[in-house]
Amino acid sequence: MKRGLTLQAALAAYRPDAELAPVPELNDPDTLLNSYHPDHLRGSMTKLTIGPNAGADCQRELADLLQAEAFIDEADLAGAQVTDTDVLVVGGGGAGCAAALAAAERGARVLLVTKLRLGDSNTVMAEGGIQAAIEPGDTAQQHMQDTLRAGHHAGDPALVAAMVGDGPEVIRWLIHQGMQFDQTASGDLHTRKAGGMTAPRIVHCRDYTGLEMMRVLRESVKQHRGIEVWDQSPVVELLSNERGQKCVGAVLGSLTDGSMRIVRTRSVILATGGLGRLHLNGFPTSNHIGATGDGLVLAYRMGARLCELDSFQYHPTGLVHPPHLYGKLVTEGVRAAGAFLLNAHGQRFIDELQPRDIVSAAIIRECREGRGIHTDTGGVGVWLDTPRLERSQPGLLEQQFPKLLTRTRHVGIDPRREPVLVHPTLHYQNGGVVIDVDGATAVPGLYAAGEVAGGIHGRNRIMGNALLDIIGFGRRAGIAAAAAEHDRGPKKITLEHVNRARRDLTLAGLPLTQRAPRILPAYTAAGKDIWKP
Amino acid sequence: MTETSRNIPAVELLINGIPVRAEPQMTIVEAAWAGGVPRITGVGCLEGVCGSCRILVRRGKEVNVALGCETFVEPGMEALFLPAPAADRHQYQLTDLSDGWDIQARFHEIFPEASRCRHCHGCVKSCPKGITVEDGVALAAAGHFREAGEAFLECVMCELCDSACPEQIAPAHVGLFSRRITAFFHLRPPNLIHKLEEIRKEQADKKEQP
Repeated sequence: MKRGLTLQAALAAYRPDAELAPVPELNDPDTLLNSYHPDHLRGSMTKLTIGPNAGADCQRELADLLQAEAFIDEADLAGAQVTDTDVLVVGGGGAGCAAALAAAERGARVLLVTKLRLGDSNTVMAEGGIQAAIEPGDTAQQHMQDTLRAGHHAGDPALVAAMVGDGPEVIRWLIHQGMQFDQTASGDLHTRKAGGMTAPRIVHCRDYTGLEMMRVLRESVKQHRGIEVWDQSPVVELLSNERGQKCVGAVLGSLTDGSMRIVRTRSVILATGGLGRLHLNGFPTSNHIGATGDGLVLAYRMGARLCELDSFQYHPTGLVHPPHLYGKLVTEGVRAAGAFLLNAHGQRFIDELQPRDIVSAAIIRECREGRGIHTDTGGVGVWLDTPRLERSQPGLLEQQFPKLLTRTRHVGIDPRREPVLVHPTLHYQNGGVVIDVDGATAVPGLYAAGEVAGGIHGRNRIMGNALLDIIGFGRRAGIAAAAAEHDRGPKKITLEHVNRARRDLTLAGLPLTQRAPRILPAYTAAGKDIWKP
Repeated sequence: MTETSRNIPAVELLINGIPVRAEPQMTIVEAAWAGGVPRITGVGCLEGVCGSCRILVRRGKEVNVALGCETFVEPGMEALFLPAPAADRHQYQLTDLSDGWDIQARFHEIFPEASRCRHCHGCVKSCPKGITVEDGVALAAAGHFREAGEAFLECVMCELCDSACPEQIAPAHVGLFSRRITAFFHLRPPNLIHKLEEIRKEQADKKEQP
């Protein structure tokens, strides 16, 4: 990487009223992506050798986990306490809560287990908003086309149609749970148009949309009489029937006392979220501490097919400075409201509302070619020009983006006065477990919803579709799981699928030393060096 | 960390009673990880919005509470990670509240402590987000739920205010209740309702002409 300017020098040279040249034409987006997007880094990809996706491309660090040994075998099950339930929801974020509420609304007994605390998730950090085609002149068809186009036409049209069709009803359901959204003076929901969209379609609650959603859903779940919640209870393995072909429960570890518990059920809904905390390709992440891809590992070992394992979203505007917020997000809403991206020379270099993968690739290009801004802790980035936005629309940042201002206030940084240093950050797993419109995977009894599921966003997700996806498909999975055939529960619970995976690993000559799921990043363990740029 | 920053003198402090040598600019959470404090699971988003990493902090004679992911190490500081909040005492489901006219009465049934505020400011001092907690509770107790809810916009549900309240008011939940019923009873956006009505008509037409 060529060296650009230091943070101090760039800040001294920055002027919020400097004349800007027009943004250069983007002639060849494919070459830009192929040259600079992290998915195309040399050595980043490998091919899977075992499991339903054998032969498919997969990111290398993820492949290591998908082709790893389980933590437990049959001996560990002896003596474990057994609990029965109708529906087991794994994960306490937005998708898990929506699934639990939908299943409980239909009379199912629901047990929701979560690795950390209910609500500790990526949902709570979501800022920008949720998409729903509600404005006059906008349609579900347009929403569908935007989603498929931005995803490079790799998404499953049936899933996308289901999601966009759910949009308006999802917003109504959220309001019914007690969620607030920003309104215009006339009472309409306020909408924004973001990258890759043909109409204003993002509804939001300031830049706290995820926080508002998560605290409302958490309260809803905790107060629901039909839902029991177990915190600090990661799933260490799923359970299968004696042929290893049907999911009949899960084995839970306890982060508080280290014990193991068995849950028997007719339906398991995986809502475990993404994998940013694997720090793929050495990138920082916007994700919460539990985002370690556990659901992918569990589903794959059980025999579920996955998709787009070589495609991840690096959000263009992750914070570089201050250092304790490295990788944390600045919502795309700031660019949607009109903020520009500037390189170290104060020049615009990309249309800021291109899809996220293209904007990220352009930022990485600027940094690599010596037009980046370097911090003394080893970070590099470009400016998000918030002071210019404040000049053109005074008061806007305070009214619409309080989180942006609050998060850095206690370290003395005011984005209204100095621009924000940003660099792409590992944000979202575009693919995941293959599902149908009911959230059902290829394995009977196993459902998936939210970021752990794939097929909706293709190879690039646009803003606001994640929150719609988690609620829409969370509810779909909850409804389907509650209605699933009641075959008086599983007769026998086994780890036959684990034995099968172990045989496959041995036959393929792969080592049995690595164990998965990861559960928490290594750097959170005592004595380990913390992860830094 | 780069080599140069390793030469800066370490900050010495106590975390959960364990002596830790941390680098300046580290947060309490980072210092706990780097300093060998046994695994702490009360950590979530690392950006101050999930409310999990509740800590008790002592600086000299001053004791306060804070969030560990946005509190920085200081020489001689003592920090203690607090357990997750206790189970809620209040119980309600929005669907039980069908009538907006008796909502004040229902509120005081659900949160009987809310009208007993002693104005001790414990909740205000303990709030890591600078929320005017006490005023917010007073607004809710007087039935001004919209304004009360707005006061709690930035609430991350860490419930540190709850632990500071001698009357056990559960201010964070009072704020959340205020926000939720405001949406539940009053948020009726014309553009959304119009679109839902369009969809309903389309589906009705489809049913009539199979």
